[in-house]
Amino acid sequence: MPVRFRPGPPLLLLLVLAACTADAPRGTVVTFPGSALGAEGELLAAQVERFERVHPGVRVELRRTPDAADQRHQLYVQWLAARVPDPDVLQLDVVWTAEFAAAGWIRPLELPAAARDDFFPAPLAAARWRERLYALPWFVDVGVLYWRTDLLEAPPQSFAALERQAQAALARGDVELGWIFQGARYEGLVTVFLELLAARGGAILDAEGRVVVDREPAVAALAALRDAIQVSGVAPREVLTWQEEPVRLAFQNGRALFMRNWPYAHALLRDPERSKVAGRFAVAPLPAAALGGQLLAVNAASDVPEAARLLVAFLTAPEQLRERAARLGQLPPRRSLYDDPELAEALAIPVEDALASIERAVPRPVTPLWTELSSTLQVHLHRALSGQREPREALTAAADELRRRLARAGLGADA
Amino acid sequence: MSPGARSEGRLAALLGLPVALCVLAVAVLPMLWTVWESLHRHDLRLPWLGRPRVGLANYAEALAEARFWDALAHTLFFVLASVGLEMVLGLLLALLLHRAFRGRAALRTLALLPWAIPTVVAALVWRFLFEGAPAPGGVPWLADATLAWVPVVLADVWKTTPFVALLLLAGLQSMDEALLEAARVDGATAWRSFLHVTLPLLRPALLVALVFRTLDAFRVFDLVVVLTGGGPGTATEPLALYTFGALLQELRFGYGAALSVIAFGVGFALALAYVRLVGRR
Repeated sequence: MPVRFRPGPPLLLLLVLAACTADAPRGTVVTFPGSALGAEGELLAAQVERFERVHPGVRVELRRTPDAADQRHQLYVQWLAARVPDPDVLQLDVVWTAEFAAAGWIRPLELPAAARDDFFPAPLAAARWRERLYALPWFVDVGVLYWRTDLLEAPPQSFAALERQAQAALARGDVELGWIFQGARYEGLVTVFLELLAARGGAILDAEGRVVVDREPAVAALAALRDAIQVSGVAPREVLTWQEEPVRLAFQNGRALFMRNWPYAHALLRDPERSKVAGRFAVAPLPAAALGGQLLAVNAASDVPEAARLLVAFLTAPEQLRERAARLGQLPPRRSLYDDPELAEALAIPVEDALASIERAVPRPVTPLWTELSSTLQVHLHRALSGQREPREALTAAADELRRRLARAGLGADA
Repeated sequence: MSPGARSEGRLAALLGLPVALCVLAVAVLPMLWTVWESLHRHDLRLPWLGRPRVGLANYAEALAEARFWDALAHTLFFVLASVGLEMVLGLLLALLLHRAFRGRAALRTLALLPWAIPTVVAALVWRFLFEGAPAPGGVPWLADATLAWVPVVLADVWKTTPFVALLLLAGLQSMDEALLEAARVDGATAWRSFLHVTLPLLRPALLVALVFRTLDAFRVFDLVVVLTGGGPGTATEPLALYTFGALLQELRFGYGAALSVIAFGVGFALALAYVRLVGRR
């Protein structure tokens, strides 16, 4: 039964409380439900305190939201569709911009020309919808390949080489698992598929927004992935139930030769207290890396849009981003920060690899329907990978369904 | 009717009013609202489409969708497999616990333990068991469209067999021992007296257990979410999970409401059929 979140009573209570304390010095309050866990939460709190010192009269209230992307998405949509004025500042996944902007839920932002050249084009493109800017990049994520330096001389340069090396290592009995990645039925699977697809020159939607995921490069990419799991055994069938963390744990326990994951795993893997592969692994850029990361945007219904914009500008300013990179190992979205020698120390991958990965990072299709299209694609990809459908058959069915869904939303580009 | 009785009747109606209003507010109204919602196209993420009345289009879409029929078939398969096993095993367990032996009380308590564990916790435990490194039997159970059903059904049977056993045990204990005694005197074998005396007398208890379990199993959700997420692909996705996805993940309220109404219809038909079955004895 549809249950809609109605923040009416709590909001009313807040208003009443606010009215009761009318004589106290009143300031503008900006609410922001950002990632508030662990070290990330501590750093954010410290930065927000600095912001309040720079802008006396503005108070920032940090809110807790679920950290799982799909849960946060669900919550945001319910808030925004109800036109709730807070939270004022929103933390968006790179693939949500089009959806929220097309719905009119987030405000267009202005960016000074100097800053425009400083941000990498890929994350900035993910912050745009129909030529307008709606968000500012907070940090960038790119898929990378972790490999074992104690078992290999050099990382593979192609997918075929990765398969060969994994097969050889498995045959020698060096390692239990060859190549592991995020293969469960969720967004992560789509990013893995997209990386293989882009390396073959294919795409999910073309530049005009037409569905092209049933073309040859896509069939070849999916067949290669299916064969790695079901035929050659280069990848274990268990990956079909694994998201980031089970994959990271298997690699951390020394079970696998190669792992596809995000840069976050680096700091955990090099901790000798917990990791069996500390000092025995390295990170290599992928031929094509999927673009991930988070953006900051302003709620269109916000009562304090100016203060909210100030907070977004402050949190995405070089000083704050440098701090996030140094303390959390997150890749900053600004090019100028990569000249800093301190950054090299903190990042998971060598600076030149990080730059190369970001420069050629592959964005997921920019469409307001992305979350829906992705969940459809996940089902069909997973059917092919678990051997229930042939790759071509699965992708034909997926493409038909994607076209149907786009047409239903009035966004179909296919004649 | 005497005036006193009439005024008493009025008082009864008056006293019953709050309850009737409560039922109306928490059961009937939301249901009617869901039906109303199902006649609209209402997609929370596509506000530019508005919320137009579309008649039965959402129902037509569901009936034309292979994933819907798969989900329905999965649900019915799950009901048949898990409830079937639970009834057989529950009966055996009840017969065992019915006998007098030392430590019976302790065993009864122990047998009930799985029933007391929250479903999500039980499902997690089973998931860890079947996902272990190495997986039991060296088979990746949760990654195979057919094998994935094994942990799902097994976990449900493990968890709810005690419940069935408890209901049947109550039935056994209220049975008149003299009837079994008479059968024995007449020279009936244990098997014959079970078949012709125990089982017919146990019929009401069996039916009650069957009704409860069927309707419960029809709504299966948490177990599957935790164990397989409905996968691989959508190979173990029941109706409740498909509806949840449309409603709360894709936020297609109109379509999701239509699915809810269909699920409600099927569940209601099942309940009606059972009520008639029970009432016929």
